[in-house]
Amino acid sequence: MAQIPNLDNAPINLTSIREQSQKELLNILKNVRGKKCLVIDPKLGDSLSLIIQTSILKALFLPLEHGIELRHLSGDPIQTDCSKVVYLVHAQPKLMRFICSNIHNDLSKGLQREYHVYFVPRRTVVCEKVLEEEKLHHMVTIGEYPLYIVPMDEDVLSFELDLSYKECQVDGDTGSLWHIAKAIHKLEFSFGVIPNVRAKGKASVGVADILNRMQAEEPVNSSDIERYNLFSISSPLCRTDSLFGDVILGALCHELVFFLHINNGSVELDASIMGLQQEGKKTKVPLNSSDKLFKEIRDLNFEVVVQILRQKATSMKQDYTEMTTTTQTVSDLKDFVKKLNSLPEITRHINLAQHLSTFTSKPSFLGQLDIEHTIVEAQSYDICFDYIEEQIHKQEPLTTVLRLLILFSITNAGLPKKHFDYFRRELLHSYGFEHIAMLNNLEKAGLFKKQESKSNWLTIKRALQLVVEDTDTANPNDIAYVFSGYAPLSIRLVQHAIRSGWRPVEEILKLLPGPHLEMKRGGFSNSPSFDTLSGVSSSVAKVPDGRRALVLVVFVGGVTFAEISALRFLSTQEGMAYDLIIATTKIVNGQTLIETFMEKLG
Amino acid sequence: MGSALPPEQIAWCGMDAVLLYWDDMLLMMGPDGEPVHYLYDEPIILIPECDGVRILSNTSMEFLQRVPDSTVSIFTIGSTSPAALLYDALDHFDRRSAKYYDAVADENLRLIRSSLPEAVEACVDAAGHEFDVSRQQTLLRAASYGQAFCSNFQRDRIQEMCKILRVLNAVRSPEIGIPLSIQQYKLLTPSVLIGRLINAYQHLLALKVSEYLGMNQSPGVYAYFLELLMEASSQCWADMIVRDNGGGWFVENSVRASFNIQSVSATFLFDNDLLYCTPQLILNPTFVPPPFYIIHNWMEDEVHYLGWMGATELTGVQLEVVIMHWACSKITASLVIPDAALLEILLDKLKLCKGISYAAVAAHADKNGRRKLAALLVEHEPRSSKQVPLLLSIGEEDIALMKAIECGDTDLVYLRQPLEFFGTIQARPLARDLFVTYARFYKHEFLKDFFLSTGQLQDVAFLLWKESWELGKNPMASKGSPLHGPRIKIIEKAQSLFAETKEHIFESKAAEEHAKLLRIQHELEVTTKQAIFVDSSINDTIRTCIVLGNHRAAMKVKTEFKVSEKRWYWLKVFALATIKDWVALEKFSKEKKPSIGYRPFVEACIEADEKAEAVKYIPKLADPRERAESYARIGLAKEAADAASQAKDGELLGRLKLTFAQNAAASSIFDTLRDRLSFQDGLANLNDCSNTFLRYPNLESTWKESQSILRWAFAA
Repeated sequence: MAQIPNLDNAPINLTSIREQSQKELLNILKNVRGKKCLVIDPKLGDSLSLIIQTSILKALFLPLEHGIELRHLSGDPIQTDCSKVVYLVHAQPKLMRFICSNIHNDLSKGLQREYHVYFVPRRTVVCEKVLEEEKLHHMVTIGEYPLYIVPMDEDVLSFELDLSYKECQVDGDTGSLWHIAKAIHKLEFSFGVIPNVRAKGKASVGVADILNRMQAEEPVNSSDIERYNLFSISSPLCRTDSLFGDVILGALCHELVFFLHINNGSVELDASIMGLQQEGKKTKVPLNSSDKLFKEIRDLNFEVVVQILRQKATSMKQDYTEMTTTTQTVSDLKDFVKKLNSLPEITRHINLAQHLSTFTSKPSFLGQLDIEHTIVEAQSYDICFDYIEEQIHKQEPLTTVLRLLILFSITNAGLPKKHFDYFRRELLHSYGFEHIAMLNNLEKAGLFKKQESKSNWLTIKRALQLVVEDTDTANPNDIAYVFSGYAPLSIRLVQHAIRSGWRPVEEILKLLPGPHLEMKRGGFSNSPSFDTLSGVSSSVAKVPDGRRALVLVVFVGGVTFAEISALRFLSTQEGMAYDLIIATTKIVNGQTLIETFMEKLG
Repeated sequence: MGSALPPEQIAWCGMDAVLLYWDDMLLMMGPDGEPVHYLYDEPIILIPECDGVRILSNTSMEFLQRVPDSTVSIFTIGSTSPAALLYDALDHFDRRSAKYYDAVADENLRLIRSSLPEAVEACVDAAGHEFDVSRQQTLLRAASYGQAFCSNFQRDRIQEMCKILRVLNAVRSPEIGIPLSIQQYKLLTPSVLIGRLINAYQHLLALKVSEYLGMNQSPGVYAYFLELLMEASSQCWADMIVRDNGGGWFVENSVRASFNIQSVSATFLFDNDLLYCTPQLILNPTFVPPPFYIIHNWMEDEVHYLGWMGATELTGVQLEVVIMHWACSKITASLVIPDAALLEILLDKLKLCKGISYAAVAAHADKNGRRKLAALLVEHEPRSSKQVPLLLSIGEEDIALMKAIECGDTDLVYLRQPLEFFGTIQARPLARDLFVTYARFYKHEFLKDFFLSTGQLQDVAFLLWKESWELGKNPMASKGSPLHGPRIKIIEKAQSLFAETKEHIFESKAAEEHAKLLRIQHELEVTTKQAIFVDSSINDTIRTCIVLGNHRAAMKVKTEFKVSEKRWYWLKVFALATIKDWVALEKFSKEKKPSIGYRPFVEACIEADEKAEAVKYIPKLADPRERAESYARIGLAKEAADAASQAKDGELLGRLKLTFAQNAAASSIFDTLRDRLSFQDGLANLNDCSNTFLRYPNLESTWKESQSILRWAFAA
């Protein structure tokens, strides 16, 4: 039932990126002849489902050879009769252990198999070292599957690096920054050099540096630009660093904008919610731009969504009544039948909305929302303190509590030592000592820490107008509508960067942690088309064939749906000279973000 | 013909003829007609090519090929093919002085007007097959003469042919000595030809050709292919006598020119009957064939399929390939030049070309025993992925590590195998962090040693603490001794390590409590004979005790861990509610006045859906708003309204009205109450409301409603 997203209306040719990935995948599979068992690590499986449908994959290989068996990678031995096993895994040492234990298991049973390991996105020394240490490296054929970018939607790209935030902040492993830079560099090979780069935050400045280095090492060829001339890009690349606060704030405030937990463009729900009879079964509901109705409502505030759905349903009913009461011509009938086609869509969304409203109308949800706003307003410390304390005492779900605590800590630039220790103690007592590792991680990442200097949150909040007093959720005039009155900091920065660059907001940027950077990049020096290209960038309005110039907004560390909605809102505003494309390490929400910091102990 | 002896050699000549060789006679069997005889007075070797056969003897090399169709159609005596007439017309046109010739030219053209394009095409084609330069020119001129009269001929055909011929003539020149036919050239592809030129040390010509053909594309396969090609050739070239003595290409070329090649002539032997001819390259017998020429051709046969393989993949040749090869030969040849001077000479040329692999040149220098030069060269390599492995291989490990860190590609850092060098990596945070990440999942013990050696005691403590859970998972470790000794011991060790540093007092205390908790939990398991305590949190332990009815144990845990009154109340109330022990709950509420009020009691009852119980506690709530809301939650409209009116809170009233929207009687109560609110209160609340509704978007409709109600109230 899951579908890959429709990319036809994308401002750049994303379909070609996806087709390339499809082709590479099929080549890998074709190169291993005969019947084979494809073992995928589960996370990669999610990404692949955006590239190609499993059913299509299976169907492709059915007539050609003896088919293909799909398995998920785990520590348990693989059950298959195939003599050839193809592993397709992220290049993570952790996964190599599974592979090793699989092979050792086969060996102990005396099974002789051919093993192929394809690393995503590239082979790494670390992983090969693991194989070497296990003395298995001579048994496996090693290859690469260079999947750096997965198009999630017509304006959203994901690098599928869900741990990047934690790795950078806690472990100091900046490998994902290299990956991001590489992915952007790959995009540049297809669509041309990005001439203006703006970055905020340590990690994103790091990415910009690596990107520059890559450009020096392997310059994007000018001939490539000519080849992809359909596309006149001259975008200020704005990269806001979510690593400090902003995305956290976004992710931690409840997403009032429609869906809560969309995983790679689809949600898994109890079948009963969707009005199906099979109790207890899970169904996957695809949610991306391929669904027209979803496209229409996804960026709206939840309250408004309900109204729209009601309208649609009513008009449908009206049509039906007219149909039965008055005489109709054949063409009227035809129109009506056409409308009926959208009925399943509407029913689906009404079901979903109903399901969601059971959460959103609960007093606890509203209370949560209320306190989040109170924390962001940062005026009443004691109220927030008491609320969170009570949440812990009631033993509300740990992630919910941590969301608030982190938000509280960030807006106050950390908590006074006494309170910091108090909260930590209460957490350990209530939820168990095994969470000490997570607390340590959060402290290292600066998300939940003790206060060292005075908070400048109030200044930032005021300077960037993060709290907007009167927002009309139905007809929004500011991005603050996504959180019913709070404008995500990251998007505010993007707004400024697009409008005027960093210079006018320099003072504010200095208040935020991490360095910022603004640079122009060449790369055209040998190209005859240099003049025409720079001409475009200086007068954006003159871009030929009515296309707007592009801005690639890269979020290092993740982005929330609410922020995406806010960006989409920006790009639909009048006088907006750019199409926005969003690239992110992973689409996150408060829950998933916090989960990356949790370590399983015991 | 009728020979009893089988031929000594046999070879295909083109697509449709076979050569048979006996002792001194060569026989060619064509598809039709009589065989042709050639006599040789010295032994020969037949080497088949794609379009003919090379015949190699001690003194000469000949090439035997079927005369191409286009050539035949033009040069056959008395031919009246359009091409022949066109050629003839040009001849007349050239001799324009007499009017007669003009007229003939004119008439010829008129005759073939309809088939002019084919005629032009044939001339171009014939020019391509021609080895004689002046005849190539004449044929091309004929073509261009004809082209002027026909509109629909592809003009760039002639241009293209000129280009090809210029390249061919250049390589056919005696100094270079590669007598390629056009067909061979096409199959070979320009890139392979350039590869051969490079191998013949004809760097300048190779460069010129690749520039001329505009081939500076860089397909990735090429690097690989070229490596193979060079590999194959290097053995043959090892004993090459020609050595560049320091002056660059020009010296090399002059060396080449100094070979005493006196004349090369090509003769065409026409045989009208058989339509076969032998364009014969007769090298002057006094010419000593340069060894490279022969070797080259032999070698070429070996390299051939590499060439073919490559040719199918390739579209062009990199300039950098030419320059690279030059640089490598230069290094090999310049043993006496000091490093700095040689570096300068090399850089001078290398910088001409972007994207050149300095690392490859450096690797070559290293192979030639010039490590210092290699180090100097590798500095210029922009690609860290190439630079780092090479730096490691020449022993510059520290620089390699630095470069790897600089470039941001963490994978390169791992190349350095830092496991043995605690000291070096400690100074470089990224290398250290990467090592720690790697070791964390793989080499626990090793990591512990590392942390100990660097004095990061708290990290050792964290590791130990984590290990304690692994021990817990292991049934062998947790059974055995009653106080599961090893596990607690390890936690206590962690505690003492934390205590070493001031900053980790909190962790130290937490570890201490953890150890204490495990002991208590174990005792509880022994006394209750139920294995449900170990590894639950302090709260859960207390809760389990209460649920089991063991209030004394719960109290003991509470005091052991100094659980605050607040937490204690929430915990106990909810625990009692889960087992629905309402009697105990009431008793608990009356023990003494709860320091945090009665909210936990109310909430626990409401959540358990026990209205009757809840009503007992709601009146005891201090805040009238809370009372109102609590009443509303259990559906008591009147009580809720009373409480709300005490609070004089319009916003609250509005919200409550919404809750009771279905209940007409209830909502009228709210309306009456709202009327009673004073004007000022209403105004103040109006503002309150607007703020609140911004936060509760789904209450917006209510907001509008209450606004209108308030307005109405003001009016009244």
